[in-house]
Amino acid sequence: MAATVVSVDRNVKPGVGPILLGLWITLGNFMKSLFLRRASTIQFPEQKRNISGRYRGIHVLTEREDGTPKCVACFMCATVCPAECIYIESGERPEATIEKYPTRFEIDLLRCVYCGFCVDACPEEAIIMSRENDLVGTTRAELIIDRERLMARNKLVEHGPGYRPSDHDVRRPVRIAALERLKSEYGIVPGPPRA
Amino acid sequence: MASSATVFIPPEVLAKAPARVLKEALGERVLAIDDFRGDLAITVEGRAWVEAARLLRDHPECDFRLFLDLCGVDYLDQGGRDARYEVVLHLYSVSTRHHVRLKTPVPEANPRLDTLTGVFKGADWFEREAWDLYGIEFVGHPNLVRLLTHDSFVGHPMRKDYPTAKRHVLKTPREMLLPVPAGSEHLLVNIGPSHPAMHGTFRVQALLDGESIVDAAAEIGYMHRNFEKMAEERTYWQIIPYTDRLNYCSSFMNGHGWALAVEKLLKIPAPPRAEAIRVILSELSRIMDHIVCVSTNVVDLGAITPFFVMFRAREAIYDLLDACCGARLTVSYVRIGGLGDDVPEDFEARCRHALAVVREVWDQAHALLTRNVIFLRRFKDVGVMSREDALSWGWVGPCLRGSGVAYDIRKDHPYSGYETYDFEVPVGTVGDCFDRYLVRMEEMRQSMRIVEQALAKLPGGPVITDDKRVALPPKSEVYSNIEALMNHFKLIYEGILPPPGEVYGYTEAANGELGFYVVSDGRKHPWRVKVRPPCYNIYQAFPHMIRGRLIADAVAIIGGLNVIAGELDR
Amino acid sequence: MPRCRIDGRDIDVPSGTTVLEAALDHGIHIQYFCWHPDLPVDGNCRTCMIEVEKMPKLQIACNTVITDGMVVRTDSDKARDAQRTALEFILINHPIDCPVCDQAGECYLQDNYMRYGLYDAKVELEEKVRKRKVVDLGPIMLDAERCVLCSRCIRFEAVVTGTNSFEFVNRGDHTEIATFENRPITHDYAGNLADVCPVGALLSHDFRFKMRVWFLKSHESVCPGCSTGCNVFVDERDGEVQRLRPRRNAEVNKSWLCDPGRALYKEIGVTGRLSGARVRGAGDGTTVGAALDLVAVKLKEAGAASAFLASPQGTNEDLHAFKTLAEAVGGKLDFRVGEPHLKVRERIDHVLQRADRNPNTQGCLDLGLDRDGVGAILDACRAGKVRVLVLQGPELLRVPEAVDAVAKAAFVVVMATHEGAELDRAHCVLPAALWAEVDGTFTNYQRRVQRVRAAVPAPGDARPRWELAAGTLERLGKPLGATSAREIFMLLSGVTPDYGGLDYRAIGAQGRALPLAGGTGARAQEARA
Repeated sequence: MAATVVSVDRNVKPGVGPILLGLWITLGNFMKSLFLRRASTIQFPEQKRNISGRYRGIHVLTEREDGTPKCVACFMCATVCPAECIYIESGERPEATIEKYPTRFEIDLLRCVYCGFCVDACPEEAIIMSRENDLVGTTRAELIIDRERLMARNKLVEHGPGYRPSDHDVRRPVRIAALERLKSEYGIVPGPPRA
Repeated sequence: MASSATVFIPPEVLAKAPARVLKEALGERVLAIDDFRGDLAITVEGRAWVEAARLLRDHPECDFRLFLDLCGVDYLDQGGRDARYEVVLHLYSVSTRHHVRLKTPVPEANPRLDTLTGVFKGADWFEREAWDLYGIEFVGHPNLVRLLTHDSFVGHPMRKDYPTAKRHVLKTPREMLLPVPAGSEHLLVNIGPSHPAMHGTFRVQALLDGESIVDAAAEIGYMHRNFEKMAEERTYWQIIPYTDRLNYCSSFMNGHGWALAVEKLLKIPAPPRAEAIRVILSELSRIMDHIVCVSTNVVDLGAITPFFVMFRAREAIYDLLDACCGARLTVSYVRIGGLGDDVPEDFEARCRHALAVVREVWDQAHALLTRNVIFLRRFKDVGVMSREDALSWGWVGPCLRGSGVAYDIRKDHPYSGYETYDFEVPVGTVGDCFDRYLVRMEEMRQSMRIVEQALAKLPGGPVITDDKRVALPPKSEVYSNIEALMNHFKLIYEGILPPPGEVYGYTEAANGELGFYVVSDGRKHPWRVKVRPPCYNIYQAFPHMIRGRLIADAVAIIGGLNVIAGELDR
Repeated sequence: MPRCRIDGRDIDVPSGTTVLEAALDHGIHIQYFCWHPDLPVDGNCRTCMIEVEKMPKLQIACNTVITDGMVVRTDSDKARDAQRTALEFILINHPIDCPVCDQAGECYLQDNYMRYGLYDAKVELEEKVRKRKVVDLGPIMLDAERCVLCSRCIRFEAVVTGTNSFEFVNRGDHTEIATFENRPITHDYAGNLADVCPVGALLSHDFRFKMRVWFLKSHESVCPGCSTGCNVFVDERDGEVQRLRPRRNAEVNKSWLCDPGRALYKEIGVTGRLSGARVRGAGDGTTVGAALDLVAVKLKEAGAASAFLASPQGTNEDLHAFKTLAEAVGGKLDFRVGEPHLKVRERIDHVLQRADRNPNTQGCLDLGLDRDGVGAILDACRAGKVRVLVLQGPELLRVPEAVDAVAKAAFVVVMATHEGAELDRAHCVLPAALWAEVDGTFTNYQRRVQRVRAAVPAPGDARPRWELAAGTLERLGKPLGATSAREIFMLLSGVTPDYGGLDYRAIGAQGRALPLAGGTGARAQEARA
């Protein structure tokens, strides 16, 4: 361990040289910013920052083909939210295969910490996050976003979707291995179920 | 979680020096010895508390001179215990490279314990905090008043029967932190909390004789959000966003430390790829934190240029973090057992770009500062902290290494694969501001080395453990079969259920040893989480360091200590 | 007593105990679906497989009786493998319904998968057998796809209610649970079908989609619906009760609760509740303190020309405080409006319910509140001899025959929990807290003293009845000498025969049975039935 410890070198010689070097560096930075536009600052709002495709912005409640919410009010997002900012009430849907939908779905965008756990927790890909982070309102109540406004965000294509599940591949290795074993060892190829 | 007095203790545990020494000296007053997950924990009677601490510090075979942490725990309604509270002390020995935990039960009827301020300087604020949050009185403490909560706060918030949602309206600040002798002609001045030099929100009240500081006292707690109480009502997964908000300048490292502590408790390791990515992002976060420290420190001295120069590197690293997990500052990227998601395809390219920017700004900052005569006059021999004092206060990290103690957890107790990387640990000689600056600058260079090595040998494979009790199943599974769906549901509403027990998990964060003392009772919420914040001990020494110095020196010193309020106050 | 060894632990059990019962009693967890402590053993799910030394094949723990010297391992590789495989078998056709299924949070499949399963699934969604979903059977909903064919509902209907509503139909992996022609369940115990079903196949229609169960906090209490005193859990979230669930008590209600009892959760809450005191003619905003001042003044004036009618809806603590008040003032005392004492043991069905719809008639009898006679009190009212009539509950105000008597009393005080037109007949109305909002005890028909615990806060100014009585006593200069329900119980246990030596700790979670008073062997046996 002793070999990996180094003492810092305190013997530095100050003088005029380092000061001039410092001024030269600053002048160089100044020129680069002025002529090469290399500053880190951007002219917001005319310029927008490049936001990644995984950005955790304001949420979107995704919709099915018929425009109804994919959400089945399972409460996973409300349960996992560390900030307890999601309020859901569930109601009955007539379709026996779906059964449930949210009659109320509200997120308090001011309480939200934009951690993305709701997206991780959703088993239906019903809630995702967009790349938008413009949170503007004049009252607190305005920033409690309800189901209609969350669904309407599906149409906002300006920024596109951000943080969402990417793993849709349904070819499951365990399943494939099991099928191959059935075929090779027992000669069974399972077919569709009888009606 | 009952006391382990009747549990069989293997002879190799009893043979460990602290256990042996205390058992010989105290005999029956040692109530229990435990070795859960390799953490040696010794419980002694309250009467033997100071004696045990002194023995651990002074006995040549123990030599536990580094004071790490002291906290209270409330075991209300937990069966098998005689006393409601417990006070827990964590110490470290730099020479033998061992941690030790000393505990003592404190009864509800008479919650008093002798102070350790005579043994370790750093115990001061920790005992005040235990008094503030638990109501445990430390007999002989020089100044046992509230620390983190407002001084008109009623109640002790960390007690289990204190309702979390209770509110107070407390508006009146405490005017006088220092006793001013009558007829004194000295000027009493508040430095902070809303002062640009007080990075974050802390307040120092200084008694001035002209520009000299005659006396000083610090007040903290402006950013106290009681993370530890929130942690008692959240699952292990839900605590991750809270950890981001501890040291928010290098937020990934807090999550890394937390995940490692819980993984130690669970005995479930993260896969190698996850560990390597954690190392890369932790080192980049360390660079970010050091950039903040160095550049804002010199801003206070009037040198604004390095700030503009160095923060470009932070932008590059932020873009990298954004690409990985969707957030720049509060990343919430770790998971217990690994990481939330695999890195994007252009990860390596982005990393190299970030390193290039860091290298460029480092060179420029070094050229601007290190040999600058004004800088040297402000920093050299200012704020000297001796080696012994640093250990007694509980200093860690670059500040401790600046004082000449070569303690770096990445070398002494490697985790996440640090033992496979080649890097050096810079150490100072004098312990002044200049040494701390040099150590930080050199650490940035060593961090760059580590990142390059990690990138070069980044293994493939999964980024999260496949243990179904800990990791969420992949979404494709959740959408398509009942078993994964049930697994997903159970992990969300019930979460991880670690075995009952306690661990102390520690990592080398940017400021030094960031520790998480986690007590689990087997249920989904941890029973107790104590954050061992590195800058808490460091800042505790600050009022003592500036006595007799000029205000200008105080400003130079505080910046170099890198006190982040989120970590300090929690 | 045979001794066996389960997972290395030596356990002595009464003879006839099965391995599963012994293990569960001693904290060793074994998974099961079809076994139920209060239903006959069926052994059809095969998930509780265990390894018994010297038996070559694995056995089911629920139907293996312990013999002396038996050595059992529930956690050997063979046993664990069988347990996992049996679970996997049950899950082959299980639909991916967790997001829409109310059972999540108390589902045997979820819990057992995390403990005994943790395997990778091999069945594709398209291959699962489809069955009927969302079948409305009245108080419960049936989803045949989720059924694991454990037959608990069939056994319940056969053995407990005797109505035999359920049966398996079809064969093989198309087997389903069904009622004849999908007819709804019409008996009063449908809620137990939802409790007994380990999965989401049978679910309560009332609770459907209301709340996820992991948000609920459970409090132990006792149902006030009738003198049986079934033990319940009050499940609430943030002070709002969402449902009542039965709590197992082998001596009182086993694992069952009747539907009218379950529905009582609806009366807890804020709607229709009396949340403030009222004095006739005093306008709005009378505080309880001011009302009690007035009551004390009136009682001091009236002295013995007063009458007190206790309510068998009150806890023993309420009753003791009320009796102390009556004795301090010297007025007449009784409780028997509607003659509940004649019905306290009378059954109205063969399962749980009794004719006396009050939880604490026996407590009134035990505390000696059957003293002067309701008839005598009403006659005294009509004769003008009662100046202050204090009612611990509004029962008398609802009796048409008593209206004239009540009208003759100069000052009528009533403690009530809910608003109602009958309260207008009183001069002073005091807001009382409900059973779910107080700590206290009820004594059931078999003289079992059981604890109720406060689960939610009382609305507005409503407070426990004992607190109202104690406040009046204080103002009369004769303080009760106790400031909590626990303390009042200590007082009453000192002066009530058979209650001596009891305290809350001794009563515990399952209650404490007192000797049946004045009963011969035959009556005592009948009362226990």
